Amino acid sequence: MTERVAAGGITTHVARLDATRAPDTGEPPLVVFVHGLLTDSLASYYFTLGPAFAAQGIDTLMYDLRGHGRSDRPASGYRLEDFVGDLVALLTELGETRPAHVVGNSFGGTVAVALAAWHPERVATVTMIESEPPVATWTRHMADGLADARTRLAHAEAFGWIARHHGAHTARLSQGAHRILRTTTLADDVPASRVIDDDLGALTRPLLAIFGGDSGLAEQVPHLRARVADCRTVVLAGQGHSVLIEQPVRTRDLILDWVRDHTPVAEPVP
Amino acid sequence: MNTRTDPDTVLADLAGMLGKVVAEYGLVDAEITRETTFHDDLELESIDLVVLSGSLRDHYGERVNFAEFVAGLELDEIIALTVGRLVDHVVASLDAGAPA
Repeated sequence: MTERVAAGGITTHVARLDATRAPDTGEPPLVVFVHGLLTDSLASYYFTLGPAFAAQGIDTLMYDLRGHGRSDRPASGYRLEDFVGDLVALLTELGETRPAHVVGNSFGGTVAVALAAWHPERVATVTMIESEPPVATWTRHMADGLADARTRLAHAEAFGWIARHHGAHTARLSQGAHRILRTTTLADDVPASRVIDDDLGALTRPLLAIFGGDSGLAEQVPHLRARVADCRTVVLAGQGHSVLIEQPVRTRDLILDWVRDHTPVAEPVP
Repeated sequence: MNTRTDPDTVLADLAGMLGKVVAEYGLVDAEITRETTFHDDLELESIDLVVLSGSLRDHYGERVNFAEFVAGLELDEIIALTVGRLVDHVVASLDAGAPA
């Protein structure tokens, strides 16, 4: 089901797919999916991972980040701490108390790590798909990437070029991205976000990190493995940044295994 | 008594739901037929399909699982999806749960 939920001062578009079979024991695990910036929405999960997770006995919660999809698009307030605050307010409004397995794609993975660092009681495990934790170097990468996107999309003729080279679908997504950049302070706010220390000491929850071997982000693997106590890393050879869209089945299986391995087996009732 | 679902009724239902989704874009006059494509004709984005999915569930209940249907399609198929193909899916889903 889909609904619009007022929480934390904005209205958030939410889609929930509840577990369609009873869990083996106890109550079903909860997986929260967080999408990426600008060209993304909850649809990236709704039509890929969501149904499969529900079929495996997992309650799933997907939502549109502020400024994206069918959620509100306030003019300002796009620092990482705002996105994390939205998610905490949403979980509270929905009466959700189970620590969640939080799965984030790209920027969504950064939101997931930040939630785990600042509200560990909300989080069972974190999954990053092609993401960076919210450390100082991340803010510099975001500043560069967003400045580049703003420059390129500011030229109206870019959409014609994108349509010719990448197809009408990508061109339409780019128009949506331009709308966000033109009407909000997101490009200035994200790089000014609150961060955690480089040593990742703030992250005390288990971490699954999935990377495309060709995207450059996989360079983080040794650092993540050295710093996070319960850490699983997977690098998909020959794959770029679009792991979720181009390898949904592989991604689904990796995360399902991870959630299963981190779901406590309830003691049988005597 | 004939319990089979009438595809024309489903098409009319879908046209009503789609009318609400596209009204936000000022496309209220768009005529919706079996050949209408979600992407090129109605210019729906994937997030609009999520909203449509919610409308389908509200109208038909658990028997019509649009998310599962779309999850089984390739990206190219989603982009080429027609109203007629969704009508067929809805009819098949409803008839699968009805007595023959």
